[in-house]
Amino acid sequence: MSVNNVAIQETPMTQIDFEKVKKKQRTISFFKGMLFLLPSIILFSVFLFYPLVRTIYLSFFLTNAAGETTVFIGWQNYVNLFTSPIFLQSIKSTFLFVLYTVPITIIISLFLAMIANEKLKGIGFFRTVYSSTMGISVAAASVFWLYLFHPSIGLLNMVLKAIGADGIGWLTDPNWALFAVSITTIWMNLGFTFLILLGGLQSIDSYLYESADIDGAGYFYKVRRITIPMLSPTLFFVVTVTIINAFQTFGQIDILTQGGPVNSTNLVVYSIYREAFMNYKFGSASAQAVLLFIIILIMTFLQFKFGERKVHYQ
Amino acid sequence: MKKLFAILMLGLVLFIAACSQEGDTEDPEKDGATESGETETDTEDSAGDSEATGEKQNVTFWHSMGGAGQEALNAIVDSYNSSQDAVQVNAEYQGTYDEALTKFNSVAGTDSAPTMIQTFEIGTMSMINSGSIVPIQELIDADGYDMSGLEENIVNYYSLDGKFYSMPFNSSTPVMYYNKDAFEAAGLDPEAPPETFEEVEEASKAIVKSNPEMKGFALQAYGWLYEQLLANQGALLLNNDNGRTDTPTEIGWTEEEGKSIFEWVKHMVDDETFANYGTNGDNMMAGFLAGDVSMFLQSSASSRDVIDNAPFEVGIAFLPHPEAKDRAGVVIGGASLWMIDDKSEEEQKAAWDFMKYLQTPEIQAQWHVGTGYFAINPAAYDEQLVIDAHKEMPQLQVTVDQLQATKSSYATQGALMDMIPEGRKIMETALETVYNGGEVDDAYNTAVDQFNTAIEQANAARGE
Repeated sequence: MSVNNVAIQETPMTQIDFEKVKKKQRTISFFKGMLFLLPSIILFSVFLFYPLVRTIYLSFFLTNAAGETTVFIGWQNYVNLFTSPIFLQSIKSTFLFVLYTVPITIIISLFLAMIANEKLKGIGFFRTVYSSTMGISVAAASVFWLYLFHPSIGLLNMVLKAIGADGIGWLTDPNWALFAVSITTIWMNLGFTFLILLGGLQSIDSYLYESADIDGAGYFYKVRRITIPMLSPTLFFVVTVTIINAFQTFGQIDILTQGGPVNSTNLVVYSIYREAFMNYKFGSASAQAVLLFIIILIMTFLQFKFGERKVHYQ
Repeated sequence: MKKLFAILMLGLVLFIAACSQEGDTEDPEKDGATESGETETDTEDSAGDSEATGEKQNVTFWHSMGGAGQEALNAIVDSYNSSQDAVQVNAEYQGTYDEALTKFNSVAGTDSAPTMIQTFEIGTMSMINSGSIVPIQELIDADGYDMSGLEENIVNYYSLDGKFYSMPFNSSTPVMYYNKDAFEAAGLDPEAPPETFEEVEEASKAIVKSNPEMKGFALQAYGWLYEQLLANQGALLLNNDNGRTDTPTEIGWTEEEGKSIFEWVKHMVDDETFANYGTNGDNMMAGFLAGDVSMFLQSSASSRDVIDNAPFEVGIAFLPHPEAKDRAGVVIGGASLWMIDDKSEEEQKAAWDFMKYLQTPEIQAQWHVGTGYFAINPAAYDEQLVIDAHKEMPQLQVTVDQLQATKSSYATQGALMDMIPEGRKIMETALETVYNGGEVDDAYNTAVDQFNTAIEQANAARGE
């Protein structure tokens, strides 16, 4: 009896112990995990989470020139933005800018990557040339284009005049300015997208092409059925990154047009900069930043939802 | 391997902790240093100097002079440093006025703040409101310094209720640059430049007629020039006497005054005699030097640059005004020097000494000739250096004459308000709309609405 009793009493005891140990181990491994994550948690909190929370907080206030909050105004900053023709124009310009730059950048760099992927003598030289814009800073590239666009001594207008056409006010005509900034941006982004796409192309197994050759497939058939599907993860990455970059464009605007003429190139990030550091309206600038964050978040979400379906992972 | 990681991690954590601690303990240390007479900071910054000369007071001077201005300023700072043993001024270029002001706002009240900073004229109100400056009047009173020797118009701009908040330094006004050779070719008198809006229109037509490759006139879409063209008609930018008697609540100009500038430009755009360089002043200057346009408005601070670089003879004339209005004169543009709060008395005294040095006739003469800014101390015009330069470049004289011909009024004293940078951008956009064929009424009314909204918002943000 007593032995049985002991046995009965002991079983739940060991079970409890087992649970306890398991729990203890779990907490230990949790803390260990946290310890490993700590550096990035600290860095992210300092440089991302805190500024994000602070921005949202500021967007509900009016501020003085030093950025200290003065009056709480609730949603008024957001209401002002949606009724401000300047901000609506800047949203429109931003979307137009994304539309001008992203597809063209990717098509041109895909084309360049495909011809640079051929195994020819001296191809290394061309690969270097095609990716060279990656090594040029935004500021240097913008200044370079600033001179090309120059109304009186710029190369582009000199060429136009030489063939008998009228010079174009590249950066002063509101119909051309956004286009001119887009050309600059496409040129600047080519190097990076080219390099990533070339990397993607090189990692496609050659046996796929060999089998296709045996089956007698033509060049364009191979591009459509092998290259593009196999490249889709890289393409997806490149599209996502280029879109986010386009939304965050700042340097070339600051140097080329300062948001002008007639606010036609006043993209959202530049508008935030102006509002915060020229007009000292940190509240309104924060509200714009929050809206930009939401827009990019939605765009990226949509891309993952719809774009990723077409992506073929090996 | 795991241990190594753990150690690394621990090291990182400690490092971060140490960093934040360092930030905490920094303040008392430095405070102590400033109280105990500056020896510590001295040895840090100029070990060589302090050994030789004992204690040398450091002054950090933030400025926004690029290009030719920077060279001229550095020369002055060097001559000051070598002229005496007590003070070492370290001039630091901090980007444009806007950029420098932004940087200053983020360090104001900390030890990283400079001893003195150069801020543009429209930053005057935000500097006073910032609460991190010492009104220069306190030092003037303590020192018994006489400010009456300075140029009257400059004194008018920078004194508020008879009190100086900052020390005037580099001042300029807008002038009209014109190509004398082109005037001659078009049969115009190069010695009698157009004075009114109407005459500018006529001259532009004549220029284009004689040389279809050259446009007549260019006006950079620049809010400052718009303000000057208003002031030249005797119009106020903001109500309540340009914000000098009370906080402004709306714009100060009348529809006739404001629109006259837009209509003037519109006429020339329609005549196709207007060259559009947008907001880019450098392009406009390059276009003028390349012979693409015969007249343009710009700050007199560029005059030395333009005269030196033009392959033709450059004329400088007064700012034009509408025929219907008398010329009222121009507002002082440029910048002044601000003394920053929370610095030791020795440091402020040293900076004050440097400010006084900048006002001396010799230095002002050097500055005027080297850049085209005015001498804020009129005694400088009697210096041989200036007399010689004016003989060689009579154009420099015009800029001085224009300022001295200015009638003192609230309009030409200039506006004071912290939203002026925003207002400028609004006027620039409106001007650009007209340059690109927009209607004057639409552009003007939109701009006025936005301008008034900006004033309202700025007043609301101050919690008043």
